[in-house]
Amino acid sequence: MDFRESLTMAVKTLTASKLRSGLTMLGIIIGNASVISMVGLGEGGRHYINEQLQSLGPNILFIVPGNRETRRLGGLEISRNLVLADANAIAEQVPSVIDVAAENTTPGLLSFLNRNANASVIGTNPAFITVRNFTIGQGRFITDLDLQRTSAVAVLGNSLAERLFEDQVPLGQSLRINNIAFEVVGVLELQGSNLGVNYDDAVIIPITTQASRIVGRTSPYGIEVSFISATARNADSMQTAEFQITNLLRLRHGIVNVEEDDFFIQNQDTLLSIADTITSALTLMLAAIASISLLVGGIGIMNIMLVSVRERTQEIGLRKAVGASQNDILIQFLIEAIILSAVGGAMGTFLGVSGISLLSLLTPFEASASISAIVVAVGVSGSIGLFFGVIPARQAAKLDPIVALRSI
Amino acid sequence: MPSLIDLHQISKVYGSDNTEVKALWDVSLTIDQGDYCSIMGPSGSGKSTAMNVIGCLDRPTGGQYFFDGQDVAQLDDDTLAAIRNRKIGFVFQQFHLLPQLSALDNVALPMVYGGVAAAERRERATMALQRVGLGNRLTNKPSQLSGGQQQRVAIARAIVNRPLLLLADEPTGALDTTTTAEVMTIFEELNQGGITVVMVTHEPAVARLTKRVVWFRDGQVVNAHMQPEDVSYGALVE
Ligand SMILES: Nc1ncnc2c1ncn2[C@@H]1O[C@H](COP(=O)(O)OP(=O)(O)OP(=O)(O)O)[C@@H](O)[C@H]1O
Ligand SMILES: [Mg+2]
Repeated sequence: MDFRESLTMAVKTLTASKLRSGLTMLGIIIGNASVISMVGLGEGGRHYINEQLQSLGPNILFIVPGNRETRRLGGLEISRNLVLADANAIAEQVPSVIDVAAENTTPGLLSFLNRNANASVIGTNPAFITVRNFTIGQGRFITDLDLQRTSAVAVLGNSLAERLFEDQVPLGQSLRINNIAFEVVGVLELQGSNLGVNYDDAVIIPITTQASRIVGRTSPYGIEVSFISATARNADSMQTAEFQITNLLRLRHGIVNVEEDDFFIQNQDTLLSIADTITSALTLMLAAIASISLLVGGIGIMNIMLVSVRERTQEIGLRKAVGASQNDILIQFLIEAIILSAVGGAMGTFLGVSGISLLSLLTPFEASASISAIVVAVGVSGSIGLFFGVIPARQAAKLDPIVALRSI
Repeated sequence: MPSLIDLHQISKVYGSDNTEVKALWDVSLTIDQGDYCSIMGPSGSGKSTAMNVIGCLDRPTGGQYFFDGQDVAQLDDDTLAAIRNRKIGFVFQQFHLLPQLSALDNVALPMVYGGVAAAERRERATMALQRVGLGNRLTNKPSQLSGGQQQRVAIARAIVNRPLLLLADEPTGALDTTTTAEVMTIFEELNQGGITVVMVTHEPAVARLTKRVVWFRDGQVVNAHMQPEDVSYGALVE
């Protein structure tokens, strides 16, 4: 019996029992698709976070309130937050720093005519736009003069502007924030969400205006800020800048021991390494889930293969009775298993890859199919399919025909 | 001329010790080339077991079996498969057709393993089916055929490779009188063409159409050369 005959026979048997073939393939398809999409998702998430952090630029430093070790943020024991004066002091007294932006975020209710929106109100200073590397789309950003005069001017995030003003021109319009009238002087370009803050859906006002009119209270030490960001002169001056800022703030906050630090400084590298720990754990978790689904898929394949070979012991007996050799039987089952594994593997890969493509279309994750995931998934499910398709058939092929025929 | 079938003190024992069943015990039997013989005996007397041994589908527990001059016990699995393929046609009591294949493909199956080219397989399988009166049922699956029709597909499959020996275990058990007569005509023709035919039957009328009756009881041959005319209806009830 030559190969072409065996192939024809296998195809005939597979197409004749569509349900059995379909179920076996389903196990392989699901196993493959889940592994490929899970791993792709993990990779996509990692890629996304890294890209976000990289977009911050290499020279940026974040000064965040709280202690680095205990990470107490705004807890009861922190008597003092960072204030605007800290930011100004850094700008004036730290030579390795070019620009310093202070940011304070509060929730606000915005209204324009009869349209309302809830959005973050970010109070900041003019350096914000250069430190964060944002671009202004229309109009202008807030100026030093605005800060001095505590002017009621606002710069809108791109999506927020669209949401509130729809097809009207926002510039020059009067917008109410917590029922206080602000003049819209600028609109940012689309930035995309950034470290969990969606600046596209926020409104930016002078920090002084925010302190006096929106927050309505100031700390005894000055205007409180959520965090300060600063750009160092260049990559080499990062360490110097960090050192100088630390010293200045300790001096200003009257800190003697390192353990008493009520702020800490992060840069792109420290953020990247934190993110890396998180995304590695995430990828590991997804890989674990994927392995489990591969295992479950594998058990499914194994079961159907085992059951179908047992079911087909009679068929094997009959084939032997009319003259099939052990090899004829083996080759037929091998070809069947190869076809099932290959078609199932291909369909599973297709499904997984389409799932990933769909994901990258619908979400900001640029998930991509990993070749190694495909190879591992197809390899594992294929081997399981081959092994459990062929080994039991081999056992059955060794039986005397009458024994195989009698077994039910 | 040597016998086609030569059984020497063949035994087939199932189980062990206290659960032992002697399906065949000390069976010696020779059947010559060209013979046309029926095997009869009460239910459970070992007829099917003997047929399976003769058809090289089963290995005896003891004794010697020469088929066509070859000591079958010495042959490996694949050689036996080749012998079954080329020299023996078997009609099973339970038909044993492959449910997923059409009548034509079922009949063609032995030729697939015999290395016959596809076109010739089709032609010969069609002829064999026509011969058993199923020329109009080529594409039907077994589930779309009556019991008698399935039996005839099984007969077509058994004769399609032009065997030396045709073994049929109750080939007419599921058939009405008309189709029984048709099947017996086919067997008679095959036998006249030189094929040795051995079949198991419970029907004296059918046995009378053969040349010789071998009578089984309790796993043993009690009469190896009974005249078909001597088979009475009463004998079956013994
Ligand atoms: N696989 C087996 N295991 C144990 N005992 C068996 C097995 N096959 C057959 N037997 C026993 O061997 C004996 C002979 O069985 P066999 O099938 O040869 O009878 P038979 O003459 O063909 O009967 P019937 O006319 O009913 O078909 C019976 O007693 C049966 O129970
Ligand atoms: Mg029987």
